[in-house]
Amino acid sequence: MEDRLDIEVGLHRDAPRKAMERFEQFALGHNLPMGLIFKFQLALDELLTNAVSYAFEDAEDAEVEPSISLALAVTDSTLEATVEDNGRPFNPLRDAPVPDLSLSAEDRRVGGLGIHLTKAFVQTLSYERVDGRNRLNLVQPIGAHSEEQR
Amino acid sequence: MKVETSYAGSIAVAEVHGRIDSANAKEFDEELSAIIGKGVSSLVIDCGGLSYISSAGLRVLLIAIRRTNEGGGGLALCAVPDHVREVLEVSGFVRLTKVFATADEAKESFAQ
Repeated sequence: MEDRLDIEVGLHRDAPRKAMERFEQFALGHNLPMGLIFKFQLALDELLTNAVSYAFEDAEDAEVEPSISLALAVTDSTLEATVEDNGRPFNPLRDAPVPDLSLSAEDRRVGGLGIHLTKAFVQTLSYERVDGRNRLNLVQPIGAHSEEQR
Repeated sequence: MKVETSYAGSIAVAEVHGRIDSANAKEFDEELSAIIGKGVSSLVIDCGGLSYISSAGLRVLLIAIRRTNEGGGGLALCAVPDHVREVLEVSGFVRLTKVFATADEAKESFAQ
């Protein structure tokens, strides 16, 4: 099994799910723990879904072909991913609305919940804007000391 | 995703199987809306077969919680797998809906 996998995600509504099926195969092929796979998948799914939904909202003035990509890598001690799109600049770690979890169902807004889950489930997350692309890097430790293993 | 529903008066139990994400959240919403539209005031969602839920699915749950609350009933969850429960906890949904071990316990909570 390769230690790296590059996925061209696509732009359709079901594109994140197809990418997650490939992530799951990749992760299972590396015998990663199910708890880690579930949480990392959720984080990736949320980021890709955001990109599919919002990155190309102003796409009519786009000068380049819209693209979303996912790169996965496993090392001895980490599971890593890079999510990239060439849509409008957006740093979800800074700019996504922060949900108020203390509100009642009637007052709650769901916006920002995906990023909230992503932040909660991934140990190291970073954003940079590089060459007209949004790039999010995710790093999750694996191995015996990982408290999230099941 | 598959939803199997049984009805007992104004209480319905919907067993959800499979995964709920942005690809099928709309279908999940339609399923729950159809159930609530049948005069159901209290809805139990049996999560025993739920393998995965993302924020797109939580959005649908939130709408269903509001609609059942408005109808004077409510929404309860049961048989929630550990990994799904963690999603509910991190997203604060355990404060919005009750979580029971079994469907029978959830139904009893509405019958009182």
